[in-house]
Amino acid sequence: MSQPLVQVLASAAFVLAAAWLAYRQRLGLSRSLLTAALRAAVQLAAVGALIALVFKVPVLAIAFVAIMVATASLTAGSRMRALPGSRRIAIGAIALPALSAVGVLLLVGAFDATPRATIPTAGILIGGAMLATTLTGRRLVEDLTAGADEIEARLSLGDRARDALVPLTRRAIAGAMVPLVDQTRSAGLVTLPGTFVGLVLGGASPETAARVQLTVLLTLLLVQLLSALLTAELVTRAATLPGERVAVPGAV
Amino acid sequence: MTGAPQERVDGLAVRGLAVGHGERPVLRDVSFDAPKGTVTALVGPSGAGKSTLLRCLNRLLVPHDGSVLLDGEDTAALEPTMLRRRAGLVGQIPVMLPGSVRENLAYGLDPAAAADDAALAEALHAAGLAAAFLDRPAGELSGGERARVALARALTRKPELLLLDEPTAALDAAAARHVGATLRALAHDGLGVVVATHDLAFARELADRVVALRDGSAVTGAPAELLAAGPVGEPPA
Repeated sequence: MSQPLVQVLASAAFVLAAAWLAYRQRLGLSRSLLTAALRAAVQLAAVGALIALVFKVPVLAIAFVAIMVATASLTAGSRMRALPGSRRIAIGAIALPALSAVGVLLLVGAFDATPRATIPTAGILIGGAMLATTLTGRRLVEDLTAGADEIEARLSLGDRARDALVPLTRRAIAGAMVPLVDQTRSAGLVTLPGTFVGLVLGGASPETAARVQLTVLLTLLLVQLLSALLTAELVTRAATLPGERVAVPGAV
Repeated sequence: MTGAPQERVDGLAVRGLAVGHGERPVLRDVSFDAPKGTVTALVGPSGAGKSTLLRCLNRLLVPHDGSVLLDGEDTAALEPTMLRRRAGLVGQIPVMLPGSVRENLAYGLDPAAAADDAALAEALHAAGLAAAFLDRPAGELSGGERARVALARALTRKPELLLLDEPTAALDAAAARHVGATLRALAHDGLGVVVATHDLAFARELADRVVALRDGSAVTGAPAELLAAGPVGEPPA
C-alpha cells in the first residue's frame, strides 16, 4: 500500500475510533467529531489544491493572503460583535502588524519572496495576530460590561474617558500575550511547534527547522503585541463617546 | 424648554430635563432647584429614574432636552472632567480602586493634593472614618466602610455639589443615621447635597426639599407635604 493511502486510512481509523468512543461514553460528541474531521479534510484538500495553483501562478499569492486576512478578521470581529465597527477593528489590528512583519522579513531577505515561503509565513503571522486580537477584544468587551461600575466611578472622579479605560486595556493586553509568551518559553520542551515539525517532515535539517521556527516565534511576539495594542486602541475609540463618556457594549 | 423660573440659583438648577434609554422615555420635563447649603432628596419607586437623573447631573448621561445649570452656568458648556469634580457623584455600588484607602482618596488628584495627608484625613473624617483608615487596603473594607471611603473620595476633589445614589443601601440603621448626619453637616458647611433614595424615612429626616419622581415627571416640595401622605409611588393605605 502506498504511503499517502496509509496516511488517509490511518487518520480515518483514528477519527472513527474517537467517534465510537464518544458514542459509547454517551458524550453527545460523535456527530461533531465526524463533521469537524470531514470539514478539515475538505478544507485542507481545497487549500492544498489552491496553494498548488498559487505556486504555479505567483500573483495569486496576493489574493490568497488577502483571503487569509479577511477570514481572520471575520473570525476575530465576530468575537467582539457587541462593539460598533468590530470588523473594521479586527481588520486593522490583524492586517497592519502581520503584513508589515511579512514585508520586513521579505525585504531584509529573511525569507525568499516566493509563494512557497511567503504564504506559510504570512499564515502563521496572520493567525497569531488573529489570536491576539480575539483575546484582547473579547476580554475588553467583557470587562466594559462587567466593569461598568468601576468605569463610571473613575469618570465620576474626573477621569477622561480614555484614562478610565486604561486599567481595562492593560489587563486585556497582558492577558492576550500569555499564550504566546508561554508557547515561546516552552518551545521545544513541552511541544514541538508547527513550523519546526512541518520543516522536518518536509525534509529540512533540524538546524534549519529550529532557525526558521525561532524567526517565526520571535516575530510573532512583536506582531501579537502590536495587534493587542491596536485592538485596545481601536476598542477604546469605539467605546468613547463625546463628553468624556464611555459606551457599554450592547446597551442602548 | 419650559416656563420654569430662570433666575440664577446658587447651586444646581434643573430645567425641563428629558432623558430616555434609546426610544423609551425615562424622565420628561423635570425641573427643580438644589441650592448650596441644602439637602435635596430624589425619591420614587425603583425604576422611577432616580439614578438616571443623577447621571444627567454630572453628564455621565446626556439629556435629550432641557438643561442642568450649576451656579447659573449650563453644565453642557463645562468641561466634563471639571464638572464631575465640582459635582461629585457617589454611585450606588461603592467601587474601591486597587490599593490603599489613601490611594483611593488621592486618585486623580494633582501630586501636591495627593501628598497632603492632612487633607485626605479631613475628607475621611468628614465621611465618618478615622485617619487610621488611610493605610488600610481598600479591598478589605466592609460595605459600610467602602460607602464612606467613596464619599470621602468625592470630597477630596473639593466639590460644590455631592450627588449620592442610595447612600444607605449597604448600611444598617445606625450607620445610615451616621451618614445622614454627615450629609447634613456637609450641607451646613455650604455643599449642595442631592440624594437619591428609596428610604422615605431617611429622606424625611434628612432633606430640606424633596423631588418625587413618578411616571417620568417630578413633583417638588417640602418633605412634610410630599412624604406625610405615605410611601411615594404606592397607593395610600
